Amino acid sequence: MNIQFKKGVLEICVLSVLAHKDCYGYELVNEISKQIDISEGTIYPLLRRLKDEGFVTTYLEESVEGPPRKYYRLTESGRKEEHELKEEWLRFTTAVNTLLVGKNNAAE
Amino acid sequence: MLQNEQEYIRILTDRLSGMLPKEDLEDILSDYREHFRIGKAEGRAEDELFRSLGSPDDVAKEIRATHLVKKAEETRSCRNIVHAVVATLGLGLFNLVFVLVPFIILIVLLLVVFLVGIAFSVFGPVAFVFAFLQMLGFSSFAIWLSPAAGIFISIGLTAVGLLLVIGDLYLARFFYHLGIRYLKWNIHLITGAVCER
Repeated sequence: MNIQFKKGVLEICVLSVLAHKDCYGYELVNEISKQIDISEGTIYPLLRRLKDEGFVTTYLEESVEGPPRKYYRLTESGRKEEHELKEEWLRFTTAVNTLLVGKNNAAE
Repeated sequence: MLQNEQEYIRILTDRLSGMLPKEDLEDILSDYREHFRIGKAEGRAEDELFRSLGSPDDVAKEIRATHLVKKAEETRSCRNIVHAVVATLGLGLFNLVFVLVPFIILIVLLLVVFLVGIAFSVFGPVAFVFAFLQMLGFSSFAIWLSPAAGIFISIGLTAVGLLLVIGDLYLARFFYHLGIRYLKWNIHLITGAVCER
């Protein structure tokens, strides 16, 4: 798929995965790259930005195998953002799908 | 080229040291170190982890651009905005059209309005003095058909000139803010996520 397009979607994906559960970086990268081909390294700058914007916070948690890991958690405003972006995305993709394959097929 | 953790960290350090505060750089590096550590603990090879991460140069460019835009937002200056724009340009050819062209057009526009304003503010008072002298009967200063109209028009010119200069400063401030927001959006949308597998 078009590169620019993917990048814009990455933010929703990250927020959405974090809405389900707190993750450490590697885990988050894995969750997303299972579904979409991305340069995994770009997730970390994105996480920094989301932290800067107050959408996520971080905390360290001990792990069984080795040093503590940095976990990311959605803040209240992060949850709100996730909700808004998701709504917007769903509305948009439904509209595009309807145009691409017709009303009946898109509903399936 | 070697494709291991050490090389990845080395490239990031090389591209970013001296430009970010030390703690920020350490924080960034620790994220990637953690990534490699967990990946290796899961039995993945370093070179495979390296390739999945993608180019450390791209990551560094994005971090750089984000940092410089933030800096330009915090401290308003010509220098900072130029640095921010140049860093964003480096993110892709695409931005020559979508960042450089609008930036140059804006600069030229602001400059033209400023110069016209300055010209009016200088010419207005001079023309006013001429009209005044002409009114007193010094015929060598007779540049106006009617000195009364000359006085009226030259005051008008001065006022418009001053308004243009002041307005231009406000306009520059407005475009600065708008520009920062656009750069942020641009970085967010354009960079990274290139992955050829």
